[in-house]
Amino acid sequence: MPQNDKALLSRLIENKVEFVVIGGVCGVFHGASLITLDLDICCGFGCENLRRIETAVKDLNPHHRLTANKLALELTDELCARLKNLYLSTDFGTLDCLSEVAGVGNYDQVLQRSILRSTSYGEFRILDLDTLIAAKLAAGREKDLDAVKLLRAIKERKEQQKDLFD
Amino acid sequence: MIDEETLAQINGKYVMPPDAGPDWKAAAQYGFDMSLVEDALRMTPEERLEKHQRGLDLVLEVIAAGKNHAAK
Repeated sequence: MPQNDKALLSRLIENKVEFVVIGGVCGVFHGASLITLDLDICCGFGCENLRRIETAVKDLNPHHRLTANKLALELTDELCARLKNLYLSTDFGTLDCLSEVAGVGNYDQVLQRSILRSTSYGEFRILDLDTLIAAKLAAGREKDLDAVKLLRAIKERKEQQKDLFD
Repeated sequence: MIDEETLAQINGKYVMPPDAGPDWKAAAQYGFDMSLVEDALRMTPEERLEKHQRGLDLVLEVIAAGKNHAAK
């Protein structure tokens, strides 16, 4: 299955989804030389925002990738009220939507510790580098702790060389 | 005539920036290819994602090829 993060981000932006990029792609934006196979976002889990996500991927055969029968994404108000996370598979790749980030908190707290990124396909927010490091430490898996080593090096380098792209 | 140091670099020796801090050195020591990180830090964030996408496409191609091979 392809993974087109740019296309997924474009869809989210176009549909005015309120989100912050977290996880590996966030690390890539900060300069980490890691390959990551999905797009992780933290977002508001209010019904309106979830409906925007649904609209953004509606024509991409979205389904709940962790359900045994790959249940199609069909939100109802009742379901929205019960959701904490959405693990989606789409024709543009994997999109994991989380309501909170370990070590940081809920969407509002994540938003406060995010920075704006402007790209040719629109503006969106990503976790700031310190918070990404905190989140990776809290996640605590071996691959997260590996990433922390790299992210700390990047942080140190950016502090030394102010002319590098943030 | 290529000197020994240049030859070592051709063969993959990473030259630590003279002002590399402890975290940078630790990451290099751990095995990360810090030359790739140096390159990435010279790019704009958007360029970083583009580069990642190209790498990712390649990885997914290899995975798909592996699956096809296993299925045969």
